[in-house]
Amino acid sequence: LARIPQLAETATRPPQTTMSSSTTTTDESPVLQDLRRHLTGSSTDSGAAIDPEHRTAVALPVAAIKSLLGVIQRSQANTMMGLQEELRGAAEEMMAFATDCPGSLQLLGGRSHIALASGCELFMKYVTRAYLELPDFAACIAQIMERGERFAGISLAARDRIADVGQAFIQDGQTVLTHGWSRVVSNLLVKAAEHRHFSIVVLEGRPDAAGAKAAKVYADAGIPTTVVLDSAMSYVMENVDLVIVGAEGVVENGGIVNKIGTYGLGIAARELGKPFYVAAESYKFARLFPLNQSDLPPLGRNAAILSFVDTASWEMTGGLVGRPPPSAKEGADGEQVDSSSIPGVVQFKSEQVKVKNPPCDYTPAKYITLLFTDLGVLTPSAVSDELIRLYQ
Amino acid sequence: ISHFSSKTRGGEDPPTHPHPLYHIYARSNLRPVASSFDLRFPLTQHNITMADEAPPAAAPAPAAAGTGAKPEKKEKKAPPKDLVIPPKKPKLSKAERRALQEAQRAAKAAGGGGKKGGGGGGAGKGGKKKVDVHKGEAGSGGAGGGSSRKAAAAAAAPAVDPSMDKSLPSFSHLQQYRDPKHFEEEFSGISLGASNSVQNFHPAVLSLGMQYASGTIRGGNARAKAMLRTFQQVIRDYEPPAPSSSSSSSSRGGGKEDDVRHDLDHRIIKPAFQYWTTKCRPHSVSMGNAFTFLKLAVASLDRDMSVEEVKEILVDTIDAYIHERIDIADEAICKHGSSKIVDGDVILTYGCSSVVEVLLTDAAQEKGADTFRVIVVDSRPLLEGRALVARLADAGIECTYILLNALSYVMMREVTKVFLGAAALMSDGSVLSRVGTACVALMARSNNIPVLVCCETYKISNRVQLESITVNELGNPDDVISARCAMNGAASTAADGKQIDSVLGNWRDMPNLKVLSLLYDLTPSEFVSGIVTEMGILPATSVAVLLREMNPQDTNTAFMGSM
Repeated sequence: LARIPQLAETATRPPQTTMSSSTTTTDESPVLQDLRRHLTGSSTDSGAAIDPEHRTAVALPVAAIKSLLGVIQRSQANTMMGLQEELRGAAEEMMAFATDCPGSLQLLGGRSHIALASGCELFMKYVTRAYLELPDFAACIAQIMERGERFAGISLAARDRIADVGQAFIQDGQTVLTHGWSRVVSNLLVKAAEHRHFSIVVLEGRPDAAGAKAAKVYADAGIPTTVVLDSAMSYVMENVDLVIVGAEGVVENGGIVNKIGTYGLGIAARELGKPFYVAAESYKFARLFPLNQSDLPPLGRNAAILSFVDTASWEMTGGLVGRPPPSAKEGADGEQVDSSSIPGVVQFKSEQVKVKNPPCDYTPAKYITLLFTDLGVLTPSAVSDELIRLYQ
Repeated sequence: ISHFSSKTRGGEDPPTHPHPLYHIYARSNLRPVASSFDLRFPLTQHNITMADEAPPAAAPAPAAAGTGAKPEKKEKKAPPKDLVIPPKKPKLSKAERRALQEAQRAAKAAGGGGKKGGGGGGAGKGGKKKVDVHKGEAGSGGAGGGSSRKAAAAAAAPAVDPSMDKSLPSFSHLQQYRDPKHFEEEFSGISLGASNSVQNFHPAVLSLGMQYASGTIRGGNARAKAMLRTFQQVIRDYEPPAPSSSSSSSSRGGGKEDDVRHDLDHRIIKPAFQYWTTKCRPHSVSMGNAFTFLKLAVASLDRDMSVEEVKEILVDTIDAYIHERIDIADEAICKHGSSKIVDGDVILTYGCSSVVEVLLTDAAQEKGADTFRVIVVDSRPLLEGRALVARLADAGIECTYILLNALSYVMMREVTKVFLGAAALMSDGSVLSRVGTACVALMARSNNIPVLVCCETYKISNRVQLESITVNELGNPDDVISARCAMNGAASTAADGKQIDSVLGNWRDMPNLKVLSLLYDLTPSEFVSGIVTEMGILPATSVAVLLREMNPQDTNTAFMGSM
């Protein structure tokens, strides 16, 4: 199986049309090819995004770990130091790709690369520790490879465990508010719906309409779902009973980094006395300590372009102004529209008005009630405990 | 009827190292609360006094039963430092209690009126070792002049005006300030009134004591380092006693090797520490932890070691401790802390913390001195920030200097981050630091400005402190009164050395006026955004985890298996 990437290297793929990529995928190192393959499930199509409804699609840290495993397999090093150097180099390559390379945006699906970093760091820490336990190089490698093969399984098992612990917090007749698309959260909610009756309110989740996609999944599972605007979150807060979100990364003080809008959700939930739960696997724990929003690691130049197209006016004026909305269930992927011909659309040049589109924000620990992890239910202050143990 | 008195020999003070449950006992039905308990710092046995004195006639009250709070049965054996057996509280009737309060108040008034030096001076409390209830005895004098001679004299005299009482009831449990100028004979180390033996201290010990008392050496790191260096010197000059004590060596059966460790410990190290703490200045948590480490190092020495080997190992161990736990730790803290400094930051700091100074100068060097600027907040009476500002300015950093009362102005407008130092870190994440730090942290918190406390792990204390009164240190009240301010000009003393008359210059003669100078305060963990240690930046809730990780052998938990 590990040989396949080498074969795939020789195939040529057309570069992405919407983004100017300076490198074609043939130039990519084996590490990045591995990463791509693990994330998309195929290495032949560089345009493939992750199919969010594909339950077995692995999380970003897991894909990173698997890529690093590939590095180990290909490695010629004979000593642990040499191997660690290679791993570090591969991790840096992946990080550079995630932050700077245009092709990564599609691949990462607009998520932050914090999870990628934490996955790499975790794996390298694990390698060091394994070597301390088993000083024989060859035996150590064998053990690492064997454990690594099971990692994807661990990822899925983690999600199931989280669903188990988190289900008890949703009771019959309650309304759950959620934000963004997270496989962990959707797994939890879908599993909970097998035993209880509750309804879900989903924030629409611009700019990538992740919430709309999530709503489809929940509706298909038979849960009554409502979609509202992101800006309506405080409005609906008084009618919901609890809030559950996922996390891209869990930081050292127990706060989380998640899709933009989570911070506001946390503040509103606390203000109105609603519990705010986070569902995250333990490999998302990162050794970051953001002091405020601007202290997050820089996200590179890959923020999606925002488009300001007025669809509500189109409906209200019967097509005179604005632009027809896309069909109901299809998510708006931020495709570029030539809006200059549509009346009622606000146009401005990029020199006039700056557009900022941060993909993620940081929610401090004080807004989080509990975290559902594969280690069990944790309070935010227990995250640091785990991290100290993990990275000791 | 045996009784006890408040007289202590040689004017020594009981040390301030109360049991963590102290404040619970302090809230007992005996008043004034603090004077009833005297938990001595059980380092040596020579400070135990058993005075038999005739009770003063004036007081018909029962004795201050609670004064002797120590388990007094085994006086000769110094119990381990952390072990304090809570005292038995005697049962007093309401009338007895009231009478006791009156007696103590009278005695305190007598003591306070009879001596200059208000809150300071003299023996703080009479430490008595018997806990029995005794009748017909004036209670120990509590705070303020505790000498029984004076108490007896004053109690026999008509009641002294209570408005002239300069002692502070809420703080009488703390070691009272001893002005070095008034107690010069203490620092010459001639005699400490020991009942067992006369202590002959190494001159380095005496000079360090003087430096502590006069405030020449301030700051947790400086004091701990100086203490360790002095111990190194003392150990280097150590000569084992002549092998004449055959009885002791035979009883131990270890011969003279055992005596070396024991001798070092009991004759050299402990008494020196005791001397500094009780006579010069109460020790800081950093000093205490370093001292504990040293005792552990001595105790874990191999039995069969020559004196030379012992000396060498101890000196090396002390070097390693200073290097790892202080110097390298400071470097690591710098690295972690300066990663949080970004372009355009306005950093506020309070007082003069050695590690914050190193952090800022290193960051200026790495990132360029114009990436950030610093506001140093200072406060009377110590005005430590002046030295910091001078050094930062020398490093090329743009600095602003304000006093504490201007804090809200800069905090709301300019400050982006706050870096504070710490004297100690409690296990729940609260920070013990120079008085005024809590104000700075509170103000920052209410303006949503992150507060980072920089503290090495060796300063972590495993006690929990809930407020700033139970454990604190009293400073010189005259510093508070000092006239040095803009109105009188820079000099507060005239050419002949006399203090220029300030408004409160004669506060000791003013009725109804007390002066309090505190040195530390406690910042609750809610105000602290993160603690920068050599292990990284951690939330305040993780200090207990650090303690556990550093001392796994001290953890007894049901979940040991999961560790």
